[in-house]
Amino acid sequence: MAPRGGHAAAEGVSSGSEDDDEEAGFSRSYFLAKEKEPSSSKKRARDTGKLSDLNLVDEQALRASLAEIPAKHEKEVEALTRSYKDQYRNWLFELRCGFSLLMYGFGSKKLLLEDFASTTLTDSSVIVVNGYLPSINLKQVIATIAEVFWEQTKLKRKRQSGTRSQLPQPFASQSIDDIISFLNNQTSDNGEENVCLLIHNIDGPALRDAESQQCLAQVSCCPQVRVVASLDHINAPLLWDKKMVHTQFKWSWYHVPTFAPYKVEGVFYPLILASGGHAQTTKTALVVLQSLTPNAQSVFRVLAEYQLANPKEEGMPVSSLYTKCRERFLVSSQVTLNSHLTEFKDHDLVKIRKHSDGQDCLHIPLVCDALEKLLQELA
Amino acid sequence: MAAAAPSSEAPLTAATNIEPFFVLHKGDASSTSASSLPPPLARWRIDVSRPTSSPNHKSRKRSRNEVAEEAGSGDAELYERLRLEAFHRAWSKIQSTIDEVLRGISLKLFDQVLLWVQESFSAVRSIARPTAAEVQQPYPLLTDVICRKIPTAFVLTKNAEFVDDITTFRDLAGHLESNGCHLAKLSAADFSAKHGVGGCFRSLLRQLLSYVPDVTHIFALASWYSVKENYDQPIVVIIDDLEQCCGDVLGELVMMLSEWVIKIPIFFVMGIATTLDAPRKLLSSEALQRLEPCKLTLGSPSDRMNALVEAILVKPCAGFCISHEVAVFLRNYFFKHDGTITSLISALKLACSKHFSIEPLSFLCIGMLEEDCENFWRNEFDALPQVMQKYSSGLPSCNRVKGSSNSGNNMVKGLSELMKVQKDWSSVLLCLYEAGRHGKVQLLDIFCEAVNPDLHTQKTPNSATFLSKVTSENLQIGKSGTSRRFIDQAMGAIRYLPAETLFRLLEVWSIHLKGMNEISDKVKELQSTTISVDSVRITKDKWPRRSTGSAGNSTVPLNDKVAMLLDEATRNFLVPVECLPFHEIICFKNVGILQSALIGNPRRMVQLDLLKSHRHLKCSCCRKNGIAVSASMHDTSIMCNLAQEYGDVINLHDWYLSFDGIINSTHSKVKRKPHASPSKKKSKLMAAESEAMIQARFCRAVTELQITGLLRMPSKRRPDLVQRIAFGP
Repeated sequence: MAPRGGHAAAEGVSSGSEDDDEEAGFSRSYFLAKEKEPSSSKKRARDTGKLSDLNLVDEQALRASLAEIPAKHEKEVEALTRSYKDQYRNWLFELRCGFSLLMYGFGSKKLLLEDFASTTLTDSSVIVVNGYLPSINLKQVIATIAEVFWEQTKLKRKRQSGTRSQLPQPFASQSIDDIISFLNNQTSDNGEENVCLLIHNIDGPALRDAESQQCLAQVSCCPQVRVVASLDHINAPLLWDKKMVHTQFKWSWYHVPTFAPYKVEGVFYPLILASGGHAQTTKTALVVLQSLTPNAQSVFRVLAEYQLANPKEEGMPVSSLYTKCRERFLVSSQVTLNSHLTEFKDHDLVKIRKHSDGQDCLHIPLVCDALEKLLQELA
Repeated sequence: MAAAAPSSEAPLTAATNIEPFFVLHKGDASSTSASSLPPPLARWRIDVSRPTSSPNHKSRKRSRNEVAEEAGSGDAELYERLRLEAFHRAWSKIQSTIDEVLRGISLKLFDQVLLWVQESFSAVRSIARPTAAEVQQPYPLLTDVICRKIPTAFVLTKNAEFVDDITTFRDLAGHLESNGCHLAKLSAADFSAKHGVGGCFRSLLRQLLSYVPDVTHIFALASWYSVKENYDQPIVVIIDDLEQCCGDVLGELVMMLSEWVIKIPIFFVMGIATTLDAPRKLLSSEALQRLEPCKLTLGSPSDRMNALVEAILVKPCAGFCISHEVAVFLRNYFFKHDGTITSLISALKLACSKHFSIEPLSFLCIGMLEEDCENFWRNEFDALPQVMQKYSSGLPSCNRVKGSSNSGNNMVKGLSELMKVQKDWSSVLLCLYEAGRHGKVQLLDIFCEAVNPDLHTQKTPNSATFLSKVTSENLQIGKSGTSRRFIDQAMGAIRYLPAETLFRLLEVWSIHLKGMNEISDKVKELQSTTISVDSVRITKDKWPRRSTGSAGNSTVPLNDKVAMLLDEATRNFLVPVECLPFHEIICFKNVGILQSALIGNPRRMVQLDLLKSHRHLKCSCCRKNGIAVSASMHDTSIMCNLAQEYGDVINLHDWYLSFDGIINSTHSKVKRKPHASPSKKKSKLMAAESEAMIQARFCRAVTELQITGLLRMPSKRRPDLVQRIAFGP
C-alpha cells in the first residue's frame, strides 16, 4: 500500500554526516518537490491509499487518547525552557529600551511568556491576549489597557497631589482612535508607569487581518505600552509592512523553540482523522437522519439511490424527486416535500445545484462510498 | 517566584486559556520603590550628569558600595539601571542628531512649500475675501470668477520606499504649523474604500476641530474656519503616500473641498514616490481638473544617507560606535534587504541596545559626552566593584598591551586615548570622503573600509611605494587588494581633480582637520602653493584636464602631493577603533546577536527546529545510529521529516502508515522480548489501544504542523491529501 515504509523513509532522509544532511535539506526546493509529483503520478497518489482504508477509531476514543499522549523528552523540554530564564533580564532590558519582543520557534510559548511576565515584568501591569482563539475583540483589549493605565496613574496622582481626577467618559464607549490618542498623550516622568501587552499568537486566526494588525501596531507605539508577542506561523511576517515593522512594532526577534505541545493553541483545529475523512460526515448525517420521521428518511433514500445510480449527473431534479416520492406514497403534496427538503438543507444533507438545462436539482454532498455506507447504516 | 521551569500541567479549560484576554497582574508602583531595587532612576540621573560635584559623588559611592555589600544581585541591578540610563542618553543624542540632520537636508524644500502656501493663499484671497457669515452660507459667493481649483503641491520623494518619508512629512507639518498654517495629515489608511469619503473627512476634522460632531459635515469645518482666530490662515492637508490611497475616495474629497476652496482655503501637499503621472493614474480626470498642481522635489536619498552616516557613524556623537563586522553587516542589510534609511536606523538602534544590554562596562560610553570625561571615568572606575574592575583589565583588547599595574589609570588613559584617536580617525575619514566624492564614492562604503582593523595592520608604512603606485597609473587595481577599493578610489580621484576643485578640497580639509596641527600645517602649506597655481590658472581660459598641454604637467606634482598627504594621514591617523585597547566598552561587535534579533526568519528556523530537533533538545536517545528519523523523536518532528519525502501534496493514508511504521519499529522491538509470557488476547487489546494512541499522536502532529503553517488542510474535493507549504529550510 504505502509506497515507502517507515524505515525506507528514515534511511532516505539520513545521509551520513550531519552537514551533508543539512545540505540535502537546503537543496530540496519547491521545484524538486513539484518534480516528484508529475501530473500523472498525482492521480496515482490520490488513488493509492484512502483514509477510509485505515482502521480509524471513532472521534471519542481519539479525543480520549489525545488527552493521554505521553510526553516525550519531558526532561529536555523542561531544561530547554529553563535555559531561557537566563535571558529574562536581557529581554526586560530591551523592552525598556523601547523595543517589542517577538518570540518564534517551534513549540508552544504560552507558558514561557507568562512565566517571563509574572517573574520579570513585575513593575508593570500585564494584559494577556490569547490570539489563538477564534474571536477577539481588540477594542475591548485596548479599552482595558487604557483603564489599567488610568488606574495606575490615578493612584499615583492621588498619592502626589491628593486630588481626584475624573475620567471624562468610560473607555468602553469611546472609539478606538480616541483611546489610542489618549494613550499617546500619556507621558510619565520616569517611564516607570507602563502596561505590557502580552500577545500569544499575534498571527492567530482572529488577529490575522490587516485591520487588527494596524490596530496592534498603533497601540504598540504608544509611549507607555510595551509589547511581547509570540508567533507560530511561518508566513506571519507578511502581515506587516515596513512602516509597521520599523516605526511601530520595533521588533526584536528571539528564536526560542520550546517543543512544548500546542495544547490550547490546537484546540480549535479539527482533528484530521476525525472530521477530515468522510467517516465523520457519514456519522453526523446519520445522526440527523435518525432524528427525522421515517417518511423523511425515505425521501432521502430516494434521492440517495438516484445519486448512486447516476453518479455522473449533477443531481436529481426536484420535479422527478416529487414524482418518485408521490409514486411511493411518501409525500402527498409539493408542500410536504419542500418541508422535508428544507430540513435536509438546514443540516447540509442536501445541496441545490443548477442543472445544465437550467432547472434546480438536488445533490447530496457525499462521495459514493460514504453514501452507500450511510444507506446501509440507515437501514 | 517559581524557580523551576514553568509547568506544563495547566488545565485546558482554565479561564486564562479560553478568555480572549485577561489582566495577568497589575503593576504595583509602590512595590518597585520598596523592593530590593536600587534607588530610583531620577537620582542617578542627577548623579551622572554632575559627576564632578564631589560631595554628591561621595555619597553615591558610599551608597553603591553599601548596595554591593548588602547584596550581590542588587549590584548587578544597579549597573543594569546605569546601562539602561546610558542607553537612553546615548540614543536620544543619536536620535536628535538624526532628526537635526534630516531636517537640515529638507529645510530647503520646507521653505519652498511654505512660500508656495503663502503665494497660493494670497492668490485665493485676491479672488474674494468672504466674510465670516458668507463662509458659512451653503451657496457660492457672488463673484465674477468661480474658482474651484485646489492648489496642490506634488512632492516627489524619489524614494521607492515610503517609510523613509514619514519623518520628512512629519517635519514638514511641524514647519508649516510653526509658520501659522492649520495642518492636517492624512495617510493611506484614512482613504480606505471601506470608510469612504466620510471616514477621511472625519479624520481631517479630528485634527482641526477640538470637538468632532457625530455627523460630520463640511459646515462643521466652515463654522470652525469662520471663527476669528482661525480665519486668517490657510489649511494645509498633507497626504504623505498618494500612491497607496484609494483613488475614488480621494477624488471624492477633492471634489467636495474644491467647491469650498474660496471660502475655506484648503491646500494639498501630496507625496509621490513614483513619477509625476501617479495622480493621473489614481484620480479621475474630473477630480484632476480641480487640482492646480505645483511640482517640488525632495533631496536625493543618497545625500541623506551620506549626511546621516557622517553624523552618526563617522562622528561618534554619543560615544557609541560599531565594529567593522557590524558595519559591513549593516551595509549589506541596507543594500540587500531593505534599502531604507529607516531600517538602517532601527538596526543601529537595536545594535545600540544590544551593546548596552550585553557589555557590562558599556555605561562608561556616556563619559564621552561629559566635559571632564577623565574625571568621570576615574570616579566611575573607583566605584566599580572588584569583579568589574578585574573584568575591565581583562578585556581582550587590553591583553595585547601590557601596561602598568594601576588598572584604573590604565582604563582612564585608554579611554581618553581612544576618544582622541577616534576624533582624528573621523577627521581623516571625512577628508577621504571629500576627495572620494568627486569619484562618486559613498561615505558608507569608505566608512566600512576605514573601520576594518585588518586593513590597518596589513598596511605597509612606506611612502616610497605609494608614490610609485601613484605614478604607475594602476592605483585602482592597487596591490592592497579589493578590500581597500573605496579608499584607493578616493585617493585616485584626487589625481584627476582640476586645480580649482583641488583648492576647494584643501579648504574643506583644513576645516575637518582643525585640531590636528601636524597635518593641517601641511594642508596650509599646500594651500599656499595652490593659490599661486590658481592665480596662474585665472589667466588661462580653460584648464579642464591635467593631461592636456604643458599646463597639465605642472599640476601633476601638486595633485600627487595632495594625494600623498592624504595617504600619510590615512596611514598615521586612520586607526580603526578595534585596534585600540578598551574599545569593547564603546564598540558593538557581536554581529550574530544583531542579525538574529533583526531578521527573524520563522520560515527557515521553524523547519530547522523540526528537522534537527535533537540540536535543541540535546537528548541522548534520538539520532543514535545515524538514522534521521527514530521513534524517540518528537512526533511532529518525525512527521515533518517524513513529509520531506513527498511532493507538494501528501497522501494522508501513506503518511499515517509511515508514521505508524516508525513508531512501531521500536515498540515491536521492546515488545518482542516479553512476547512469550502474556496471553494473546491481552496483547491484542494493547495493540488496539495503541492504535488509538498513534492516531491521536498523528492528529496532534498534523495540527501542530498546521499551526506552524507548514501544512494546509485537505479540501473537500480531495479529502485524502494535505498540501505542503514550505519546501526546504
